[in-house]
Amino acid sequence: MIPQLVTARWRRPDGRVRRLFLPVVPIVLLLSPLLVLAVIGGVVACLMFDMPPFKTLAGVGRVFWALPGARFEIEQGRTAVVVSVR
Amino acid sequence: MSEQRRQILQMLAEGKITADEAERLLTAVETEEPDAAPAARGGKRPKFLRLVVDANDEYSGETKVNIRVPLKLLRAGVKLAVFVPPQALERANQELVKQGVPVDLTEIKPNQLEDLVDALDDLTLDVDQTDTKVRIYCE
Repeated sequence: MIPQLVTARWRRPDGRVRRLFLPVVPIVLLLSPLLVLAVIGGVVACLMFDMPPFKTLAGVGRVFWALPGARFEIEQGRTAVVVSVR
Repeated sequence: MSEQRRQILQMLAEGKITADEAERLLTAVETEEPDAAPAARGGKRPKFLRLVVDANDEYSGETKVNIRVPLKLLRAGVKLAVFVPPQALERANQELVKQGVPVDLTEIKPNQLEDLVDALDDLTLDVDQTDTKVRIYCE
């Protein structure tokens, strides 16, 4: 399953908490023209470095598909950052 | 093949037991195994690798790190690592040697990495110091 929502939350040293919710599918759709360019750039880079472009793209896709469930939480002093992928 | 089955077949091959006895023993092992395996793994295979760090030092204060990585993501990363070009591995080797870590990355095969990720299921690493605790485990 592809990631649906990325949640980022961080607490500044002054104690204020900020939250950011990124719905992945709408953002991917919105940026799809840029993504096409990025894919073309990736294919060219793969060819330049003697890497199989389609297998590499499939590998990147597998990494993207495997992201749901990942969670990074770091807290130091009064600063805290949480990033979770659902 | 489980170790018990191997031992039974070994005993049969050496003539220590008869074919009937071997059959009875194998049947007994088969009835035991379906219950034993899930119990050993807590009922299901782990899905996440968890890293928990709890440190407290006088300069940076209390630090907590809690990272949960899906094992699927590790496997996907390992498969992607296969496509890293050899010249990049050579440069990485040189940098590792400069840092005093003489590891030859070109010698690490994809199958070995996949076996390593599979074996992480049983991993539990605990480091307990006076001001730092690190725990790595699968859940």
